[in-house]
Amino acid sequence: MKIRVAGIEKESVVDGPGLRFVIFVQGCTRHCSGCHNPDTWDFYGGQEMDTGEILAQIGEGRLNRGVTFSGGEPFEQVAACALLAEQIKPLGMDIVTYSGYTFEELQTKSLADEDVKRLLEATDILVDGPFIAEERDWDLPFRGSRNQRLILVHESLAAGMAVQAE
Amino acid sequence: MFAKIKKRDGREVHFDDSKITDAIFKAARSVGGEDRETAMELTLGVLRMLKQQSNGQVFGVEDVQDVVEKILIEKGHAKTAKAYILYRDRRSRVRDAKGELMDVVEDIVKETDRDNANVGNSPSAKMLQIASAASRRYYLTRLIDEDYSLAHSRGDIHIHDLDFYATTCNCLQIPLEKLLKEGFNTGHGYIRPPKRPASATSLAAIILQSSQNDMFGGQSFPFFDKQIAPSMDGADEDKVYQAMEALVFNLNSMHSRAGSQVPFSSINLGTDTSEEGRGVTRNFLLAYEAGLGRGENPIFPNVIFRVKKGVSFDPQDPNYDLFQLAVRVASKRLNPTFSFMDSSFNKPYDDQVAYMGCRTRTMDNRRGPAVTTGRGNLSFTTINLPRLGIKAERNMKTFYRLLDEVTELTINQLYHRFQVQCRLKVKDLPFVMGQGMYLGSEDLKPDDSIEPAIVNGTLTVGFIGLAEMLVALTGYHHGQSKDSQQLGLEIVNYLRRKTDEACERFNLNYTLLATPAEGTCGRYVRLDRKEYGIIPGITNQEYYTNSYHIPVHFPISSFDKISLEGPYHRFCNAGHISYVEFAAPPQHNPEAVEAIIRHMAESDMGYGGINYPVDFCCNCGLQGVINEPNCPRCGSADIRRIRRITGYLSTIDRFNDGKVEELKHRLPHS
Repeated sequence: MKIRVAGIEKESVVDGPGLRFVIFVQGCTRHCSGCHNPDTWDFYGGQEMDTGEILAQIGEGRLNRGVTFSGGEPFEQVAACALLAEQIKPLGMDIVTYSGYTFEELQTKSLADEDVKRLLEATDILVDGPFIAEERDWDLPFRGSRNQRLILVHESLAAGMAVQAE
Repeated sequence: MFAKIKKRDGREVHFDDSKITDAIFKAARSVGGEDRETAMELTLGVLRMLKQQSNGQVFGVEDVQDVVEKILIEKGHAKTAKAYILYRDRRSRVRDAKGELMDVVEDIVKETDRDNANVGNSPSAKMLQIASAASRRYYLTRLIDEDYSLAHSRGDIHIHDLDFYATTCNCLQIPLEKLLKEGFNTGHGYIRPPKRPASATSLAAIILQSSQNDMFGGQSFPFFDKQIAPSMDGADEDKVYQAMEALVFNLNSMHSRAGSQVPFSSINLGTDTSEEGRGVTRNFLLAYEAGLGRGENPIFPNVIFRVKKGVSFDPQDPNYDLFQLAVRVASKRLNPTFSFMDSSFNKPYDDQVAYMGCRTRTMDNRRGPAVTTGRGNLSFTTINLPRLGIKAERNMKTFYRLLDEVTELTINQLYHRFQVQCRLKVKDLPFVMGQGMYLGSEDLKPDDSIEPAIVNGTLTVGFIGLAEMLVALTGYHHGQSKDSQQLGLEIVNYLRRKTDEACERFNLNYTLLATPAEGTCGRYVRLDRKEYGIIPGITNQEYYTNSYHIPVHFPISSFDKISLEGPYHRFCNAGHISYVEFAAPPQHNPEAVEAIIRHMAESDMGYGGINYPVDFCCNCGLQGVINEPNCPRCGSADIRRIRRITGYLSTIDRFNDGKVEELKHRLPHS
């Protein structure tokens, strides 16, 4: 399956706990003021890759704890991300997904869209919500503004409400 | 006769033929001649020949000297002629050196040289640089055999800390516990043993400073937790913390070497499991984590945390909590680095191996007990490997012949320096030797040679640019090809065998070092470019790669980098380190750091660390990667940028050109 990506980082220390393989998914409609990666907005930017090719690269990262979907907006290419996430899990790696949607919005979306449900269920930690410049906090781990949360997805789905890490 | 003569600087002065007679007589006397009459006769011969050659011009000094040589030979004074020629040559070397020296001084007065990132720009720092330049010239032209000094000047080898060639030795692992127990004397009176934690750590800082004044290299406490624990007996947590905080503050502010730099201090800790020892490690790490007055990243000391299974490495170990704390601090402050006591070559010594922040390790000892404390490296000289690779033109037989030659030269030069160092007396190193800190110096008198002590030290052959050498020999470095990795290991193993053989031959502790080479990395490339031009993959960067490291600009995963560099550690018994480079501080991600540390341990490394940029806004305290000139939070332009250079931390503005280029090319693993 094809996926359009802005770039790949094979060993990141700032996109979730542990060393992580990061896929920056290309394309986002949100255009937050002060966005860290504005070059990821254009849906025709970046480059097209095959999910199999990415999966092979992930397999090489022997010290990585997991894979992070960042962006751009992973839920705009949700089918490809869901497929990758489901293929990554059997490698014993965990999944962190960044999204401009909140957990609650994604829950609603998942009722109508099976792929959203799949990606959400494959995700261990969801970093949710748009970046809001006024809420900028430099000291937060793994996220930019105070409104954004680290959601433990499995616990949240079980509880039917957002459960945050920490 | 002639009225004038033109001096070398172009000035014309009165021609005085008695000066010719003096010079000839002086040369004659040096080979046993006693007869001034003959010298005067020869002078007349010189004047006659000058007259024949004359067409009215004013002769220069060199013209006259040429004629003197000719006359001496023609008239059958071969021995005197030889002495005269040698004298002329020596004078001209000294003169060249003087001219160059003045140019160097001029440069220093303009801006302080950047060979050592830890030296400031203060007046005394400049004074030190000028003295250093003069010392270097003196040693190269007067003290060191021509073979060695030419090899150094050409860049076949680099004699490190040349400016201290005859005056002291490199570094020391300090017997802190002994000094604190017995008290000590820095030359102005006796200091009695401390009674409180804060006095113990302030004395510890003074000890580092005093021994730094006696030596040119790093000063280290090999077992800081154990060494200072007795002074913490019964003190509450708060007192211990305050004492450790004071130590960190002192070591970042107290200058030595005539006020030009703070001591190169290192602290090894982590395996003392006593309550006091654990309190030392815990509070020291917490104080280091808190940083300086406004939260700045401390530059000193270099902190080396000992990792050992059964003590600190695994969850059931008594000091596992301290290891976790060390990882957390390393995720934020670049320090500690980690030393691995379970690696194949360290394990035989239990937890007794210590490192110096620059990576030096001193352990085996054929002249005394194989211990860390009270010993150190005496001096080291680094071989320019890329040049050998270029000269060999892919012929391995030629390569090994060249390698043999330069290794032999280096081993002999180190022995020469050792002999020079042996002329030093105890009173020349009043603190280090006079206070019995060096192993074997305990019973020496002020006028005794320091030889019985320094036979315990190490003489060290270093190397730089394995990567570029491999490219020259095979077209690929060890990150690019398995065969190159094999060859790299073979060559480094070969070097180690050479130093082991030298141990037997000289009955001294010769060792092999993975050189960090602060100033050398750029100097070698400049010299090799002049000789061989810009060769892709070899001389096209502004620096040669550190020791056996994979080039910093080569994209490689940290897993692969560690796996490839690990096997070199055991050959380099004088010291080794490997780094992993992150793009951003992993301050919220100690787990990532721990994964790296564990893989280093699995890869049989002895010593490793994590690097990342530390940019700090001195106004609002924001820490992270600040790519723009101003702080993104408060807009201040007062940004302090800290990086690691040859083992120690430094702010970027203190780097030299070679290291600035290397820094630009450091590629995080991705």
